[in-house]
Amino acid sequence: SPFLLPQTLVTSAGPFLLLSWISSISALYFHIGETEKKCFIEEIPDETMVIGKYRTQLWDKQSGSFLPATPGLGMHVEIKDPDTKIILSRQYGSDGRFTFTSHTPGEHQICLHSNSTKMALFAGGKLRVHLDIQVGEHTNNYPEIAAKDKLTELQLRVRQLLDQVEQIQKEQNYQRYREERFRMTSESTNQRVLWWSITQTLILIITGIWQMKHLKSFFEAKKLV
Amino acid sequence: MTPVRRFLCAWLVSFPLAWDSCGVQAAFSQAMDSDFTLNLPAGRKECFYQTMKRDASLEIEYQVLDGAGLDVDFSIFSPSGQLLFNDQRKSDGVHTVETEDGDYMFCFDNTFSTVSDKLVFFELILDNMDTDEDPENWKEYVHGIDTLDMKLEDIMDTINNVKARLSKSVQIQTLLRAFEARDRNIQESNFERVNFWSVVNLVVMVMVSGVQVYLVRSLFEDKKKIRT
Repeated sequence: SPFLLPQTLVTSAGPFLLLSWISSISALYFHIGETEKKCFIEEIPDETMVIGKYRTQLWDKQSGSFLPATPGLGMHVEIKDPDTKIILSRQYGSDGRFTFTSHTPGEHQICLHSNSTKMALFAGGKLRVHLDIQVGEHTNNYPEIAAKDKLTELQLRVRQLLDQVEQIQKEQNYQRYREERFRMTSESTNQRVLWWSITQTLILIITGIWQMKHLKSFFEAKKLV
Repeated sequence: MTPVRRFLCAWLVSFPLAWDSCGVQAAFSQAMDSDFTLNLPAGRKECFYQTMKRDASLEIEYQVLDGAGLDVDFSIFSPSGQLLFNDQRKSDGVHTVETEDGDYMFCFDNTFSTVSDKLVFFELILDNMDTDEDPENWKEYVHGIDTLDMKLEDIMDTINNVKARLSKSVQIQTLLRAFEARDRNIQESNFERVNFWSVVNLVVMVMVSGVQVYLVRSLFEDKKKIRT
């Protein structure tokens, strides 16, 4: 059907998307060793989409600079949810894009490590990884939404504002839930401190009285008093 | 991705109309603010790099969320290797740099600690990175015209204003989230500490009372032997 066609065009634009991202964006980068695993933590509310993009470069001794990595070199991406259950564990190429949606609010852990087994590739150097992680409404592709829903510019901008406010609201709800948990822990701690101090004092007093009584009867039994 | 789809796209690329749909994802919106939370193991130093253009501004804000003294060493270097800022054993900090062309390096250093890992949160806010083009120029992707352009310009200015303020709200929210996480971790470690020391206290008291009774008893056994 004609409506399916634009969708297939968009999905097959994948490689074009990555190529243009490579040239246009200057994201944060870091160096990773061969067997090293780098993990990042994202604390997000539930039903939030997260898109991560990375590209890798390998140190080339001859040219003395970082060049795009060989196709065989990939990165293994592992994502754990707040209950330390693995929700994504996949191998991607030297440039990759991973996405997941959270179903429980909390700290999700995103781990990356290279899948290279050949020491020669690294040649004692390091792999440069450019990483960009987008959360919530930043994952929305507004040109695509405009095309799909046929929006005017004003409508598109209002839609963006609505998405932003919705994300803020979600985050605030999660904040409220966390603050409640925090308050419950505080109150439980304070109660325990109070009750333990009272119990401690009572135990001390009772032990003291018992000690005195026992010693007194002991001395009387031994005919010392 | 099936070969059919790939072929379709490649074929349609030759048509200017369809190229728009193909390239619709090409102009990805630039990420101007990014934040990361990472676990810094004991005795380790982690460095990150950010490529900047000249006359832009880089603002970096970091906080230590968890781990013993809640402190870390932070340093930021210019592309020429010059040390711009150096924080020793700080719990949080904010630094703004007016940038030149090149890669800025900033490092979190936990080498002073032998036992405890640190949970570090940092946020990068980039300004004026793209002065040439408007990254959100959606004019090519929208359908239809908004009528009454003159008055709508004003409305659009207001909406842009609201969007800027909302972005600021999101930044503040991220900051507050980090503060809350830190406070929560402080409280949870207090909880553990109170539990642990209470149990130790109990054990010590029981042992001391036992030892006391035994000592006093043994004292009197000897005396009795001496008497008789």
